[in-house]
Formats: sequence, structure tokens, C-alpha cells
Amino acid sequence: MLYRLRHLTAYAYRNPVGFARCTLRLAPAAGDGQVPLSHEVVVEPAPQTATERTDFFGNRTVSLTVETPHRAFSIDARSRIRVERPPLPDPATGPAWEEVRAQVLTWPGLGPDAPLHFAAPSRRVPLLPEITDYARASFPPGGGAHAGAFDLMRRIQADFAFDSEATEVGTPLAESFAGRRGVCQDFSHIMIAALRGLGLPAAYVSGYLRTLPPPGQPRLEGADASHAWVSVWCGEGWIGLDPTNGIGVQNDHIVVARGRDYADVAPVAGIIAGSGAQSLTVAVDVVPEEEEVGGPG
Amino acid sequence: MSEALAEADIPAPPPREDRPREDGPEERLARWTAGYAALPGLPDELVTPDGRLRPAWDRFLRHLADLTDGEIAARLAAAGRHIHETGIAYRAYGEATERDWPIGALPLLIEGAEWQVIAAGVAQRAELLEAVLTDLYGDGALARAGLLPAAAAAGDPEFLRPLVGVSPPGGRHLHFYAADLARGPDGAWRVLADRTQAPSGAGHALENRLVMARALPEVYGALDVERVASFFQAFRDGLAAAATRAEPRIGLMTSGPYSDTYVEQAVLARYLGFSLVEGDDLLVRDGMVSIRTVAGLKRVDVLWRRIDGDFVDPLELNAASRLGAPGLVEALRSGAVAMGNMPGTGLVESGWLAASLPALCERLLGEPLRLPGLPTWWCGDPAQRDAVMQRFDALAFRPAAAPAQGAFTSRAFGEGRDAAETARLRAVLRDRPGDLVAHEPVRLSTAPVWDGTRLVPRPFVLRVFAAATPEGWQVMPGGFCRISETPDVRPVAMGAGVRAADVWVLSPDSTAAQASLLPPSDRVAVRRVPGLLPSRAADNLFWLGRHLERAEAVIRLTTCLLDGAGSVSMAAEDLATSARLRALLHLWGAAPSPKGGAAELAHHALSDGSQWGSALSHALSARRNAAALRERLSGEAWRALSALREVLEAPADGTDSEAALLDRAERALSLTAALAGLAQENMNRAGGFAFVDMGRRVERAVNACRFALDFGGAGASTDDLGVLLDLVDSRISYGARYILGVALAPVRDMVLLDPFNPRSLAFQVACLGERLAVLPSLRQDGVAELPVRLVAGLSGEIAAAEAATLPLDTVAAWEMRLWEIAEAIGARYFPGGSDAARPEPLTTLA
Repeated sequence: MLYRLRHLTAYAYRNPVGFARCTLRLAPAAGDGQVPLSHEVVVEPAPQTATERTDFFGNRTVSLTVETPHRAFSIDARSRIRVERPPLPDPATGPAWEEVRAQVLTWPGLGPDAPLHFAAPSRRVPLLPEITDYARASFPPGGGAHAGAFDLMRRIQADFAFDSEATEVGTPLAESFAGRRGVCQDFSHIMIAALRGLGLPAAYVSGYLRTLPPPGQPRLEGADASHAWVSVWCGEGWIGLDPTNGIGVQNDHIVVARGRDYADVAPVAGIIAGSGAQSLTVAVDVVPEEEEVGGPG
Repeated sequence: MSEALAEADIPAPPPREDRPREDGPEERLARWTAGYAALPGLPDELVTPDGRLRPAWDRFLRHLADLTDGEIAARLAAAGRHIHETGIAYRAYGEATERDWPIGALPLLIEGAEWQVIAAGVAQRAELLEAVLTDLYGDGALARAGLLPAAAAAGDPEFLRPLVGVSPPGGRHLHFYAADLARGPDGAWRVLADRTQAPSGAGHALENRLVMARALPEVYGALDVERVASFFQAFRDGLAAAATRAEPRIGLMTSGPYSDTYVEQAVLARYLGFSLVEGDDLLVRDGMVSIRTVAGLKRVDVLWRRIDGDFVDPLELNAASRLGAPGLVEALRSGAVAMGNMPGTGLVESGWLAASLPALCERLLGEPLRLPGLPTWWCGDPAQRDAVMQRFDALAFRPAAAPAQGAFTSRAFGEGRDAAETARLRAVLRDRPGDLVAHEPVRLSTAPVWDGTRLVPRPFVLRVFAAATPEGWQVMPGGFCRISETPDVRPVAMGAGVRAADVWVLSPDSTAAQASLLPPSDRVAVRRVPGLLPSRAADNLFWLGRHLERAEAVIRLTTCLLDGAGSVSMAAEDLATSARLRALLHLWGAAPSPKGGAAELAHHALSDGSQWGSALSHALSARRNAAALRERLSGEAWRALSALREVLEAPADGTDSEAALLDRAERALSLTAALAGLAQENMNRAGGFAFVDMGRRVERAVNACRFALDFGGAGASTDDLGVLLDLVDSRISYGARYILGVALAPVRDMVLLDPFNPRSLAFQVACLGERLAVLPSLRQDGVAELPVRLVAGLSGEIAAAEAATLPLDTVAAWEMRLWEIAEAIGARYFPGGSDAARPEPLTTLA
């Protein structure tokens, strides 16, 4: 699948901002079935400094400083990428979840790919007894790790309502879990907390979902914004699972960054020297190149 | 005044009835130690297991016994009072007010030979932990080789991933390390906890030493106690060596006035000559880290970090941090600034590392671990977990990665757990065993505490400090000892009542160099220009002056109101004067209404904390400003500020007669005068003093205008003019100069235009000009800066005015000009001091 992506982030400030410093994670990831063809970012006003790095988890980051006083700040990222993933493995295969848990505790090494980075509580994902208990039904003794994670994903999709009004970016996990509503970020954090509560590694993945479904299929939730899902270590490899839509990650998903939770992969994070109200507009467009459709305004 | 107050505080000597017990030195010594017995099975500092006095304590007590019980009590009380007065207080978490750090214990004595063992062990641990950090934030070979539990390290919140791969500027992660020690059951010292995050307590050690050397000079002098001053010099040299510039500027990055160790940080900054900086004082820009100062941006080379590593940079680390400076991690990455300790060093405080340390020491240093820790097991390892489960009931548990809590607060998983806690513990051991470590229960060893008539054994924890210097790790010959006030030897009990004790290391040979507390003269160059004045500090100083002056003005208004109410005359013009006083108090937010009885109004104006403009509110604001300036304020100033608050607070029984109110008002005025005098006498002219004084002068000038407008109009009565003279405290000067009683033009001249009256507007503006003249200019072209130009303009107008023909409109315009001057001073010297440019997080939605 060949995609053309556009991710536009625009801030407007009531009072002029004299200095901004931010970190972008907007470049689609390479590898694991993804071949980026092009990527460019246009920032207004033009930054005084821009430093490209790769963070601990291998995500590409750009750090900017803007010293021109401004009331509007926009980041326009455009990419082209080819996505061809192998077919998803059968959830019924793979080791039992208890074996996976034991494997992680004795894992040798701290390299960025090691699943042990994703097994502990993190900034946005505390471990809560009620969420761990919710997870237990999917993991009977001796059950497969992959099968359990797949079942957990389906239960979250069934039990929780997609509601973009119910939560915001800073809503605590306990609240979205108790309310049984939220958006992709909440569902992903809940699923991650559930898996980690039992000692299983789970990563948070940020990315995109194709905007319009193939003919005859329903439009998926989260397609008009940046999307998030979960990557689960099942003992032999990482499996992408999307609890918002209850599906495995295949060629409709485009991975940008992965980390322990949202705090590790926020597409735009930063600090401004200024005060007063700010407003934010985000527009995302993911269009298969073979079937061109009009972009955002 | 202060001398008299201080004398009055000394506790009365013991009553004469005690006289028969004031026996001779030999009898005293026998009485103190009679019946002293170590607690069963626990080593003790005073006596050996077979009950004999240890030689060091024997020597110490023989010298101490030259003093009577009463003399010792008085000296220890004086030591405690010094601690109180210099403000070595601490704040327990969640408490708004500070508590005194209790001292009053005898020093802990350690023989030189024994100290060598401790010092070598502490230095070795520091070196070992540095090596472990270098690996964990570098190549990661130890984890790959299975020498430490990778899963525990990866799950530790102190494993700060943005620092992985960053080579620390200056070549090391750790610059300052502390270890908490106690004796094990076999009498050998062992480590209860490693402190690598941002160890606190060295400032207490420093103050305790100064106090105890003063309290017991004969004993201190006779015992050849190792000095600690050179340790601090070595620490400073070590930090300086991490910089790339020859004369580096070092900042102490503080956790701020609301943290429990702020005063200790202020003590250390003052002693070491570091700038005390908060995150807001720092700016990362153009590949450089700078302090915002009144003289512009000044590059800082090294930061001694006293905030948790995760909080240093809201951009790359904890986005919720309000203490850090965005971009600091990038500055560390590029080598623009060095930091001691590097962010992320808290990682090796965690319990999961303890079980691996002996093997790591052999592997990394090629020698056995000299100072053991507690026997500890990481429950994530299957073999260790099996061993733990066999002794489940006998062991204590704690989180594997809870560096901040350490061994002292994990009551729930510790000893004496109940059924519910046991069930929780077993659930964690099943689902997430890697989150726990188990260790042998700790029983603290004891040291003697003097209870007034004899010695009793009390559990203690000794904190020992080590600094990385160009010559390797150096260990402070001394330390910070906390002694429990109860005989409960479980570590959890240390949270309740503890006292601080000095630690005396006795020189192995009496000819040891008795280095002066002063550094050798060749190390300190003469420097008249004061150190940096950060903009935030200048802002606080300015507002300290303004709040004090506002408090004073409210008190003077109140006094005038009460004086008027007390006079017998009820003439209409008296009532008009009183109404003007009331209206002004109401306008200034000191009273809820201009109506009501004089006493009622006066009570609000002086003591009503819910009125934002009351004298008490201003005094509290001044105290808040002062609290953020502790490293710049003398003990006397702090004490006077506390006294001002106490005087202004209403009596607890609610009675507040006019006479009592007047008395309190007068006492408060002498305190504000004392504070002004202290600033005048003790503060650096080109530094702090200029800002406190400008704050006062601006307010006093504004008040002179305001009072002249309200009480010095064309139709002003004799009463009005009398009040006006009182408000500017000039009635005596006026009486000395004019024999014929009050008249409008002379009063106006004295209040506004007379450059020789220290209370006049003209005098305040002249002072503002003088203060501004010694402050640094940022302009390269030699043109005066805006505040200077505004003051010069106003000064000229005042000089050209004449009292008899002065229109009130002009006075009103001058008042506005003064507000402009205050704004201009703020904009020039502390633009970031207000909230105007506080960094705000960018929000973004998924």
C-alpha cells in the first residue's frame, strides 16, 4: 500500500510568544513492513535552530527553537510511505503468557528493542488493581499470550464507548477506565496497563489510519486525527493490536513512533515562553496514492 | 536590642535545690554512666560488648565532666537557640511552616582508625556506583552479562532514557555521594542506604559543627577533632574541574523555598559561594546555559543539582515539572553545562541493585566490597525468590525501585504486616515479583544521648558524605547523625522524633594538621564586585521593601486614626480628618468598610489576614519574599520579620482594646525601623540593598504624594496637617524648625519638596537615583537606561517646584510617574520575575 500523509498542527495564541522550544515526532518509522519514500516538515515561523536525533526507542525526533515573536505557530508534515506487512500470525500460536512474563524478568540486556522496557508502570500508565483484575479473564492459567492479548483487545472494544468528548489529553487512566469511555489514547493506555499489571510487556504506538476505508467497508474510528494503538510482546515478537477498532495492525496502520506511553511519543511536545490562552487545530489526512481524494483545506 | 532579647531567652539556671547533685568531675562521670547498658544484642557506641567504656568516649566524658550538669544544659540550649535563630529549620513534607532542626545531642565520636575503615568503604562505594552508572547509561554490558537485573533497571523510574548515551560533561555522573550507616549485629559498620540522587544534610553537618565547636570549645579543643572545612573546598574544586572555563560560575539548582531542605541549600550556597538558582532563573539558548541576573544573562558552567533528576527539564523529562529549565538535557548532551550529579543518578539508590553489588565490585574494581549493605534479595530472580519464599515471614519487603523512600517508610511490606498486607504482598509476588526486594529486618545500633542527668542509649543513623575531586573521592571527616528520641530501634521509628548530632572524627595522631577554617589566602582572590544577583532574587528584594513600606504606612494610618478617636474634641473638622483616614484604609484594602468603631477598623487594618491590604497581610507577603531569599538575609533580619508577624497577629483571646492596638502598632513600627536599619547596615550596596531600598523608596514616595493629596489640599484643617506630619513621621522635625504651628505651605514643603527631610518625596526620589546609579547598565552606547531617565526627570521637576504655588494636579501626576518608575525598574531588572514569561506547555491531542 502506498500512502500520502499530511499532518498539520496549528497553534494560535492570544498574546505574542517570544520563544518556543519543541520536539516533533512526526516522521513515519522505517522497518517492520514500512518503507518511507519522502518526509518534509514546514514550520512557521521558521525556527532558529533545528536538531535531528533518534531517541532511546529509535524514533526520529526534530528539536526546534523559535525566537521570532509570533501569535501563530504551525507545523505541516508531509510524507509518502509504502506499507507491506506480512500476514498476521494466528493468535492461537505462541508461548503461554506465564512463560512470557518469566522470560522478561530474566531478559539479558537493556537495548532499546528489549521488551523489558515496556513491562513496568510509566508516566501515563500507572498500574491499577482494578485494571489488572479486568485483564485476568483473558489470561487463564496456561493460556497463550497472543490469544490473551487478542481477547483483551476485543473486550476493550466491546466494553468501552468511543467518545471524543469524554476525555482529553491529560485525563488520568483511572478516570477513563471507570467511565468506560474515551478515545484511542485512553483505550491504548488501558490495554497497556492491563497487560503490564500481569507482567506482560506492551508498548504504545502512535501513527495514522487510512482516512477512507476500501469500498464496502466501514470507516474506522480515529482516522481523522493521529491514531494510537498497542504493540504487545508475545514471547516471539511484537504484535500490533488496535483496541479502538478491535483489529490487528496490518496495512491500514502507519507507525510513526513507539514508546512506553503517550508521553514518550507525543507528535508535538514543547514549551513556550508566554501566557494567555492558546488554541490548537490538528488536521490529518491519510490517502492511498492509487485512489486520490481531496486533501484537507 | 537584639542582645537584650537574646539574653532573656536563656533558660533559667537549675534551681538551687539541685545543688547537692552538683558533684565533682569524677562523681559526675560515674553518675552519668551508672546503669548505662547497651540494648540486648545491639552494638553501642559508648560501651563495648563486655561493658567497658570505649576509649574515645572515656576521653570525651572526662573533659565534659569538668562542666556541671547545669552548664552543659545551658550550652546545649544555646546551641539549639543558635540553630533556631540562624534559621536552620526544616519543613516536614506537607507542612506550611518550618520547624527547628532539633540539636542538643552530644556529638557522635569515631576513632581515627575506625574512621579510616568507614572512609575507605564509602569512597569505594562511590567509585563503584559511578562505574555502574557509566555502564547503565553507556554500553549496558553489565546487564547483558547478567551481572545486574536488567528488568529491574528498565522498570526503575529513575532510569532516565534521554540520558542514555550522553557522556557526562566533566567525565563523571556522580560528584556528591552520601551513605547512611549503622552498625550490624556483629558491630561492623554497614550501609543502610546509598544516596546518589541529590544527597541532603551536608549543610546541617556544617552548621552542627559550627554550633558544637562553639558550645563545647574546651572539649572540642582538647580532642583533636578532624576539621571539615577542607572537604567543602575539595568538593568545590571537584565541581569546578568539570567546567571548561578557568574561572567557572557554579549554580546550586534548588528545589525552591517550599522544599524541606531549602534552608540547608541556602546555607551551602552561601558557604560555597554558589549562586542559588531556580529553574526559572536559567535560560538555555544558543548552546549556552545562563542565569538571568540584573546585569543581564550570565553564563553558568556547572550546576549542583538539588532537585530530582526527572525534574530538571520539562521538555525531555517530566513535562509536569515546574522546577526545571527546558533544554537542559540538550545542554548536557552538547556539553554546554556540567551537572553534579547528572540526572538519572538516583537509579543506583534502588534496592534491586543491592543484591548485585558484591559481585559488581569484584568485576568492576577487582576487589571485595569493603562496606556491606543489608542482606537483600531481588524477587524477580527465580532463585532469589525461592530463597525469599522459604523465609517469607522472617523478612521485610520494600519496592525494588523506590529510591526516594528507601528503607524508612515501607511500613506496609515491612515487619508486623497484618493479614491484608500479607495478601497484597503475595499478590505482587505472584503477578509482578520484580517490583519487590526482600531484606533482613533492620535493628539500628545505639549511641549515648545525655538526658540532663545521665546517658541513655538511643538508635541512630550516620550519614557520611563523599565528594569527587581531581584527586579522587574524598570523604568528609565528620557527617550528619540523626539520633532517635525513643529507644525504638526499628528504622521506621526514625521518622518521628529525631535530633541532629555533630560527628567528631578523632585524629589518629594528635599532631594532625589543625587546618584553619579559613581557606589559604592564595585561593581566594579579593573581589569587591558582589556576586550575581539573579533577577528573581532582585524581584523578591524589591517586593520585600515594598511590602514592608506598605505595612508601615497602614500602621501609621491606623495609629493616626486611634489617636484621633482618643482625643476629646468632636469638632466637625476632626470628624472630616477621621473620615479621610477611614476612607484611605478602606481604599487600600486594609478594612472591609470605612465605617465602624475606630478600634474595630484598627483591628482589621493591623491584624486581619483576610484583608489583602492589612499590615499583617503585607508583613506575611514580605516574609514570603524573604523566605525565597534566605541565603541573602541575616539571622537578625529573619528574626525581626518573624517578630513583626507575631506582633501584628491579634491576641489569641480576641481582646483588642484601643490601648492594646496602639501598643502593638508602636511595637510593629519599631520592628519595621529595625528592619530598615539592618538593610542599611548589613546589605551590599551594589547588590541586595539597592533593590530592598528602591522598593521602600518607591512606596514611601507614592505614599508622600497620596497623603499630601488627601490631607494637604487647599482647605486642609490644622488636624489634617497634623495627621499629614504624623503619617510621614515628621512632626518632630517640623516642630524643631517652625515655632508658629502648622501652616499649609511649610507642611507641604516638608512632606514633598524638602531634600533634607529623610521622609520627603524629594529625598525618596534622590535615593532612587543614587541606588540606580550603582546598578549595572545593559546598554553599550552609554545612554542612561529608562528607570534612570524617569527618576532624573521627576527629580528635576521636584527641585524646580515651590510649595506655595504647587498645584495638587502636579502632585497627582508625580504619583503616576512613580508607578511608572516602579514598572520600569521591574521591566529592566526582572522581566522574568513575574509570571509574564513563564514557560507554558504546548498541549496537543492525539
